[in-house]
Amino acid sequence: MFFSHLSFRQELGDDSREKKEIKEEARKSQHQVEQSEKRMIKLQSDGTELVTNIQVAADSRESRRQTEVEEAHRLRVEKLENEAKSSLEKFEEITRKWTVAKMKEIPQDLRDSLSSQQQLCALLIEDKNKLIHELQKEMKLSDDRYVKDLKKQAEDVDLMIERMEDQVKFLMGSYRDELDQIENSFEHERKILLTGNRKKWEQYTKERRDKELENVTQRMKRVEEYEVLLQQLRTEDTEEYNMIKIKLDTDVQILEQQLQQMKATYQLNQEKLEYNFQVLKKRDEENTITKSQQKRKITRLQDVVNNLKIKCANQEKQSREENQNLTDDYTRIMQQYKHMQKKMRHFAAIDAKKFEEVWLMNEEEVKALVEKALDTDRLVHEQQLGLAWQRPSLAFMERCGPLQPHRQTQKTAHQAISELLQLGQTSGLGKGKYQEAGVGPGAESPGLAVEVYDSGAGLESGSSEVEREREGSEGEHSGTVSVKIVKKLLELLCDEAGFLIESKLLKLLSPLEKDEQSLMKLDSIFTAMGIESEEDVYKLADFFMKYRHTQGEQTQDVSAKWGVASPQAERGEFTSSCSPPSDLIHPNDVLVALRAFTAQHCRPRELAASHQHSMLGLGGRDDTEDAAYWEAMGDVIPEAKLKIWGALEAALDKYHIVLTERSKFITDTQSLKQQNTELRMLLHQYVNSRVNAELEIPPNLVMQLAPEGTN
Amino acid sequence: MTATMSKSPGAGMYPPVAKLNLAADPRKMRRIIAEDPEWSLTVVPLLSNLCLQHIVRNFEEKPILEELLPRHKDYVLERLSPSLPLQVTANLISDDGYWKRCCKQRWGLCDVSSYGHSWKRMFFERHLENIIELYIPDATDPKTVLGMVPLCRNYVKRLDISQLMPPIKEPQKSEDDDNSDSASDMGMDGPSMDHFDFGILLDKLNHLEEFHVVYRVKGCGMNFEWNLFEFTFRDCESLAKALKSCKTLKVLRIHQSKVDDEKCRQLVNNLLDHPSLRELNLSHNLIGDRGARAIGKLLNRSKLERLTVYDNNIRGPGAQAIAYALAKNSSLLSLNLRLNRLGDEGGQAIAQALLKNRTLKWLHLGGNEMTEPTATVLSQVLVQNNTLRSINLSCNRLGMDGGKVLEEGMCHNSSMVECDIRLTEVGQESDYCISQVVRNNQNQAHRKHNTEENLAQTSEHY
Repeated sequence: MFFSHLSFRQELGDDSREKKEIKEEARKSQHQVEQSEKRMIKLQSDGTELVTNIQVAADSRESRRQTEVEEAHRLRVEKLENEAKSSLEKFEEITRKWTVAKMKEIPQDLRDSLSSQQQLCALLIEDKNKLIHELQKEMKLSDDRYVKDLKKQAEDVDLMIERMEDQVKFLMGSYRDELDQIENSFEHERKILLTGNRKKWEQYTKERRDKELENVTQRMKRVEEYEVLLQQLRTEDTEEYNMIKIKLDTDVQILEQQLQQMKATYQLNQEKLEYNFQVLKKRDEENTITKSQQKRKITRLQDVVNNLKIKCANQEKQSREENQNLTDDYTRIMQQYKHMQKKMRHFAAIDAKKFEEVWLMNEEEVKALVEKALDTDRLVHEQQLGLAWQRPSLAFMERCGPLQPHRQTQKTAHQAISELLQLGQTSGLGKGKYQEAGVGPGAESPGLAVEVYDSGAGLESGSSEVEREREGSEGEHSGTVSVKIVKKLLELLCDEAGFLIESKLLKLLSPLEKDEQSLMKLDSIFTAMGIESEEDVYKLADFFMKYRHTQGEQTQDVSAKWGVASPQAERGEFTSSCSPPSDLIHPNDVLVALRAFTAQHCRPRELAASHQHSMLGLGGRDDTEDAAYWEAMGDVIPEAKLKIWGALEAALDKYHIVLTERSKFITDTQSLKQQNTELRMLLHQYVNSRVNAELEIPPNLVMQLAPEGTN
Repeated sequence: MTATMSKSPGAGMYPPVAKLNLAADPRKMRRIIAEDPEWSLTVVPLLSNLCLQHIVRNFEEKPILEELLPRHKDYVLERLSPSLPLQVTANLISDDGYWKRCCKQRWGLCDVSSYGHSWKRMFFERHLENIIELYIPDATDPKTVLGMVPLCRNYVKRLDISQLMPPIKEPQKSEDDDNSDSASDMGMDGPSMDHFDFGILLDKLNHLEEFHVVYRVKGCGMNFEWNLFEFTFRDCESLAKALKSCKTLKVLRIHQSKVDDEKCRQLVNNLLDHPSLRELNLSHNLIGDRGARAIGKLLNRSKLERLTVYDNNIRGPGAQAIAYALAKNSSLLSLNLRLNRLGDEGGQAIAQALLKNRTLKWLHLGGNEMTEPTATVLSQVLVQNNTLRSINLSCNRLGMDGGKVLEEGMCHNSSMVECDIRLTEVGQESDYCISQVVRNNQNQAHRKHNTEENLAQTSEHY
């Protein structure tokens, strides 16, 4: 059963080995190596077995020795025990015999027994000695054996060494053999490979040679062909070459010439450029110098700027402070000024009042005197002369209060406008009125007119007077503008210059009538333009007319219609009132004309305003007529009468003389005269006093205006 | 052996300094010295060379080495004298060249391969061994040993003490030439110790891994006396304590020292739970069953991997104790019980233990008076156990039947690579069959090994 197993295993092993051989047929060397390895392993194990055999043998010997020693020990112990037992028995026997011997009293017996004892002891000792001897023998034997063992071991060791050496040698030899075999197998393999490769090599070289031969023949053929071709090409090329050479030679000559020229120009240019370069260099240097200088300057200037900035800041600060101070001063002064004005006004009013009172008082007195004189005159006439006395007309007697200077000529623009508008409203009627007015003054006596004029009665501010005044004023402007035209112009202005009116005002005006509206509008426009007086209004109208003329002349060439229309309008201005508004001035030009007017008009008006203002402040009253007034008062009694009176007086003087009582009258008259002079002095004093000049509005003017406003 | 013995005491602790007679130096008289490659004609050598030479000359007083450039260091090391005191050189010089010169000068023939290819280790190990082997209790100052400890503690890994001197009792009995002058010790009552006390040394060598000791005197020749080969209880006690204190020890070998049961028990008691011990060798001693029982106890209270107790007096009961331990053990790889007296009783016990054990690979039961019953149990082991690689049953009377039983067991085995059944009186057929199976197993193992190697190579290639 085991064998079958084993054989099966072996078969298996063989199979695997065969398989391996088949697989690795190509590599015999590998196989050889494996085989050698196996063989060497086997040899090695055999060798070690051979060597260790000695050890094993020694081991077995040792174990045998141990068992033997053990056995011997056991035997010895047994023997010794037996011996001990027997000797003990013997000893006991001897001791027993000692007691027996002690019992014996017969010396013979004792001697016998002692001798037997001695024999017995000797026997015992002999036994012991024998044993000792045996043991010694054994020891000797074991000593011998030890020596023998030692020898044996030495031999063993020697043998082992010998075997080891043999083994080493043998193994070395076999290793060498195996190595040789392996090398041989490798060599063989290599040889086979080499021959195989060489064969291949030769085959390939042969193929190559054949191919090369073939190539060479082909090449020869081709070379011949190409040579022929080359020859052909060469001849062609030489011809071409010659031609090209000639052509190129000429080209070269031309080019050389050009080259020379170019060289010359280049030289020139080079010199120029060098010169330029030098110049530029110098400039560059200069520039760098100036640049550095500029830089330095810039830095310096920057310093200066900084300093100045600081200064400026300081200055600004200072000036601001100063300004503040000055504004404070200004406000203070203004307040003072206003205060002063207030005071002044106050004083003016008081003075005027005083003056009026004084005036009235004096007048009263004078009137009384006049009345008295007249009375006396009447009395003289009626009583002395017996003549019918006619009372002279005494207009001034009706008058009371101080004389008002004549200031009505300067009407305000507002009034002018309103009048004008009213005029326009009653265009047809106005014409009639105009006629009436024109007739009215003519019918009246010039004396009366002068009288009225002289008296300056503002109370008579009727429409007639206004007409008359307008006539007068129109007399001034008659050469330039008519009222109609002025009105038209104003309407135009009202339409065109609407932007000057404040929007608030427009809102407020909306519920009013058209005329009222336009009046207010014009008023505001004029205030905006700075036109205050009637004169200004007429000036404006005049300016407009003039402007239109110039414009018309300018535009005559451009538009014939315009040019034709304007002279017609000019002609029709005085005769017909229904001239078209377009004849006056084109609405588009109104604004331009206005601007020109304001530019022109503004300055003189300002001057006039300032002048007026100063006049208003200083000269309140005109006293030129006062003297006449008072003269008239004084001249109540004319010269003829006085002559009469003189004659009368003379007669009366005579009469006086006669009639001393009449001296009383004379003293009366003297006192009256004295009084009169005193009054005159007083009056003179008042007239010359500065208070009068400070009056803003003279009292007589006020009296005159009041009736006008009612009208 | 005797030659080296007699030579070493004469040579002394350090080799003598060679004093050169400069005047007599023939080199002074020559113009060209061809055999010296460093000789040159220039009269004034380089300053650096002069300095280095000075350093070499005064190395003992002022050792300058680490501060030097590598080139100069080599120069100095090449020229340093091997006879410099160890106190200077031991911890300073690590260059193997210098220590090689020291070893060569001191011992001549040296095999550095058994010292981990470190000449320095070799020098210090052999130096320390020499000192201990020549230590005579009460006569030699223990400082000679202790003085060496700080110098060699970092380099000594193995101590192989091949002899230990006994104290001097009778001056007329001079074992060695050295001991003749110690007659004054006569007055003492007794020696303080019987041999060198390892307790003062082993705990200080913190790199010691192997320790071999033999309590005997080498080469006593005709001066033989039994007391030269005595391992007393006092020695045993001190040695056991010393071994316990040495925590790095891996290999311990005490042989030919008459270790009997009591001493064995004392040693084992101190070796129980040793943290690092791997191998224990107590061969050629007198250990009996009680000692074996102690060893069995040790087997499972340590990490022993190799146990060698051949040529002792262990019988059946002792073997049973060891087998009991073996059955439970999982660390032991090798067990050697050669030349004991196990008998069938012990053999069967060991074999039964092997049925359970799964770690043991190498077993030697040669010369143990085992017979057929053991063989039957062993055949069962061969069938069941797959870890056992090698078994040695030589010099046992297994007989023809035992051989057949073994053969049958062997047929079912595929792990056994070695099986020694020489001188066991088995039949030739069985012998052949067993050897065949072993060879097959060997081949398979070899093939396996080869394929593994190939695999490793291919995997490396990829």
